[in-house]
Amino acid sequence: MSLHLLGIRHHGPGSSRHILDALEATRPDIILIEGPPEGEAMLPWVAHADMKPPVALLAYVPDNPQQAVFYPFATFSPEWNAIQYALEHKIPARFIDMPLTHSLAQKETPAADPATTIDSEAGQPATPPAIKRNPIAYLAEIAGFDDAEEWWEHQFEIAHHATDVFKAIEQAMGALRDSLPQERDDNEARREAFMRRAVRLAQKEMYAEIVVVCGAWHVPALSNMPSQKEDDALLKNLPKVKVETTWIPWTNDRLSLASGYGAGLESPGWYSHAWQHPQDNGALWLSHTARVFRDHKIDISAAHIIESVRLANALAGLRILPRPGLKEFTEATLAVMCMGDPIFMRLIHRELIVGKTLGQIPEGTPQVPLQKNLEQLIKKLRLKISDQEKTLTLDLREENDLARSILLHRLVVLDIDWASLQRSNSKGTFKEEWSLCWSPELTIKLLEKAPWGTTIEEAAGNYLQHQAAGCTRLDEITALVHKTLPADLRHAVQFTMKRMDELAAGTTDISVLMDAFIPLVQVSRYGNVRKTDLDTIALIITTVFYRIAAGLPPSCAGINEDQAAALAEQIKNVQQAILLLDDEELKNTWTGTITKITGSAQAAAVIQGCCCKILYDTRVLGSEATALEFSKALSVNNNPDFSAGWLEGFLKDAATVLILDDNIWHIVNTWLSDLAEADFIRIIPLLRRTFSMYTQVEKRKIAQRVGQGQPQARLALQDTGIDQERANRVLPVLEKLLGL
Amino acid sequence: MSATILRHSAEQQFAQEIEELQKQDKQTRPVNWLLSPQAVVTYLMGGTLDNGFAISPKYIGNRRLMEIAVATLTTDRALLLYGLPGTAKSWVSEHISAAISGNSALVIQGTAGTSEEAVRYGWNYAQLLAAGPSKEAIVETPVMRGMQEGKIVRIEELTRIGSDVQDTLITILSEKMLPIPELNTQIQAIQGFNIIATANNRDKGVNDLSSALKRRFNTVILPVPATMDEEVEIVQQRVASFSKGIALPIEKPILEEINRVVTIFRELRNGVSADGKTKLKSPSGTLSTAEAISVMNSGLSLAYHFGDNSLKADDLASGLIGAVIKDPVQDKIVFQEYMETVLKQREGWKDIYRACRDIV
Repeated sequence: MSLHLLGIRHHGPGSSRHILDALEATRPDIILIEGPPEGEAMLPWVAHADMKPPVALLAYVPDNPQQAVFYPFATFSPEWNAIQYALEHKIPARFIDMPLTHSLAQKETPAADPATTIDSEAGQPATPPAIKRNPIAYLAEIAGFDDAEEWWEHQFEIAHHATDVFKAIEQAMGALRDSLPQERDDNEARREAFMRRAVRLAQKEMYAEIVVVCGAWHVPALSNMPSQKEDDALLKNLPKVKVETTWIPWTNDRLSLASGYGAGLESPGWYSHAWQHPQDNGALWLSHTARVFRDHKIDISAAHIIESVRLANALAGLRILPRPGLKEFTEATLAVMCMGDPIFMRLIHRELIVGKTLGQIPEGTPQVPLQKNLEQLIKKLRLKISDQEKTLTLDLREENDLARSILLHRLVVLDIDWASLQRSNSKGTFKEEWSLCWSPELTIKLLEKAPWGTTIEEAAGNYLQHQAAGCTRLDEITALVHKTLPADLRHAVQFTMKRMDELAAGTTDISVLMDAFIPLVQVSRYGNVRKTDLDTIALIITTVFYRIAAGLPPSCAGINEDQAAALAEQIKNVQQAILLLDDEELKNTWTGTITKITGSAQAAAVIQGCCCKILYDTRVLGSEATALEFSKALSVNNNPDFSAGWLEGFLKDAATVLILDDNIWHIVNTWLSDLAEADFIRIIPLLRRTFSMYTQVEKRKIAQRVGQGQPQARLALQDTGIDQERANRVLPVLEKLLGL
Repeated sequence: MSATILRHSAEQQFAQEIEELQKQDKQTRPVNWLLSPQAVVTYLMGGTLDNGFAISPKYIGNRRLMEIAVATLTTDRALLLYGLPGTAKSWVSEHISAAISGNSALVIQGTAGTSEEAVRYGWNYAQLLAAGPSKEAIVETPVMRGMQEGKIVRIEELTRIGSDVQDTLITILSEKMLPIPELNTQIQAIQGFNIIATANNRDKGVNDLSSALKRRFNTVILPVPATMDEEVEIVQQRVASFSKGIALPIEKPILEEINRVVTIFRELRNGVSADGKTKLKSPSGTLSTAEAISVMNSGLSLAYHFGDNSLKADDLASGLIGAVIKDPVQDKIVFQEYMETVLKQREGWKDIYRACRDIV
């Protein structure tokens, strides 16, 4: 019966190679691996054909998914290879680290325990965790390396001969642990006690050749076994919490994330290359580098590659290394291919040294219901999960696209930002452009939302109601409504609307109300594209509208110029919205409100002008009546400031009126020519402000008209006698075309 | 070595170091190299030899850069040192060629007027007219000599040379051969020949290298010193060798003054005060370490010749202002702002503030 302790560096490809050699040599009948015992049930999946690293073993507390740990694995991870060996040779593999049921419980307790929180507030500042120096750095320093990782790599990973490497590691670590002054770390002591317990158990079960794969640091702790009693005392009365585990896909750039195995690695892409091609002298790696450059339109010739390989090998020779490592390749690339400019190296770092691989897990791995539901939906709707940014254009008239859009919107509601809505270039509301990019932490976010429901729809609905209930301001809920409506959550919409109604009642700020009103109208108008439930919206529109109509006239008075201009814009928007609504009753009320503002003495000049324009546009005021209003507002007795403001409100964005409408032209013309010189000079800046908003073409046309002097009679649009009946026959086809 | 020489070349000044390195050098040497690549790097970065002989550091900064530079010269690519003015490009190239070839004198100073004859070969016209083209009528250039003797040739300010002249280097670098069509012959370089060129980041636009030529060079960018300590060390070392060189008997601790000058330079260069609290404008000059050195040197001579032999703020101020204010309008505003917002407030810097204010 013998025990083999194989100390590794997590994620070291060299360690992997040594592990495989050692396993071949010892032919163990059980392998014990540093890892959470809860994950053991997940081990058989490793051998599955569809399991493609990088993947991570995710362990989480179901009631509080924020409490989660990842154990990432890449193809070159020693643990991964040990597990695969065990599965291939049909021998048991066990995870022997401290069970997460304890370690996660420990993490949870301080937060949940109010006593400690109070303590720390009472003047006992929580001591910050001591910054621990990587103990291996001491050895590296002695050997003259400034980077511990690099030293390890050259000492134990690149050297291919090393069969006694594990003995050497054990000795080195033993020496380190003996000579370093150590702070007692209870957690580490417990972890190692658990590992020893597992080793004892395996020995008791009469396994003959036991192999332990663990971080190099722990090896001495396992070789000198203290008494069982001591360990048992250490492991008594640990807190417990329920833990579940599953596999999730991982990405290369997340491999650098420090979680679970603690050690993140900075260059997974390079490691994976070193794992696959241990003999590469750089020709292959640098050719890949050249390819990446070429893909990004940077000219790199084969000669560049040759020179880089030479320089890298010369550098390795100069540093007396057996073969160039990543550092040498990077420096050679920088000097030969990049003209010394490190900016280009960022590209290589992103694309190659880190790499863009996304792992894959087989179907059927255990999942929480919400996650399962999402996966089903993704499959059903033929979407694809990828960590590359991708654009997706949806045509909401299509059944499948609509369903996709609804799903994406629901995920947005759930704060799972897989997809973000882009501003669509095309006009019309039936097109949506999404940008999709999956990242592994989204799985965590998904797990966080698991308590809200078992399906995406249910969870989104419940979560939304929860948020709506928490809103205290109308603009908050308006933002929420924006998210809700396209997500097609009927139940939640009802609730949000109710909440909106409540909040609208309490809102005195008319502009917030107006902001809330416009999206509502848009949705109700185009709602049929999305087949949203319209009755509720109609109800809310009416109530919000009446609040606006009542509150608007008084709020137009006593405001400064900027506020007035902003309000005028909003009034115009509401006007547009009312036109869209096509509701006679609302329209009449609105016209009434506008008329009231136009006639009021207090309302700001800009708003009055703007309202008059609206009345003119909607033909409530005829040309004659408008001309009357105009000359009233611009009459000489009026304060020129008022006149100019009024003019701005009226003529803003309305150059065509000025060019084409003879009446108005005449009025403006007369008003201008009758101004006293002093008054004219005074309002020139204000006039300029109005006219400078016009386009070049409009300004030229106006100037031409001024040049022509007397207004000419223009052709009016004639009623050419349309055959109503024949025209109606076109409508069904038109409706079909527009998807109405 | 006569005492009248103003400045000794690197191989003269550090002859003993090179000799000791040669004795201790156990690594293999490339053909025609005085030292092995490892020993060259030791020569540049400094260190202690096995017999206890101390090598002084020539380049203070990242060892990696020197390793790349030396490794490049062992391959058949040439070396291009790139960097802001005053980042020790010429200094490094001089020392590398001294350590490799024992001769740093094969130099071509690149200017807008550097002609093809200065790079390849010229003719002795009296000979040419008298006897027609012959080997004897050829006037050799440093490049030609370097090729024949297997030595490192330096080209200073490569980008200042016109593109057409630059491109004559392409054949030399790729085929290691210099054709002489007039004589229907060519000079073939022997091992040990290579070129170190220096070029200036700021002048990049002047005559950018053609991509064909670029491909023949490995580029090493020499950065401005990364930390305050590094920069102070550089200045101190050079100032010490300067006062030794022209026999200035200044003995008092000038480290503090060096610290102040370097601080001012770094602050203005980085556009933020050393404590990171005050945002500053940067003047138009590069404010390199080399300029800091010359400010110190001129301060030292002022103190010696016109002062009481101890370095005072007044002695530094004129040099300092000369280095910072290159543009009489813009830079002056920048420096005045700096004086009022940073210098004036700083504890114990009143003297330098007053000295500067008197001049500006």
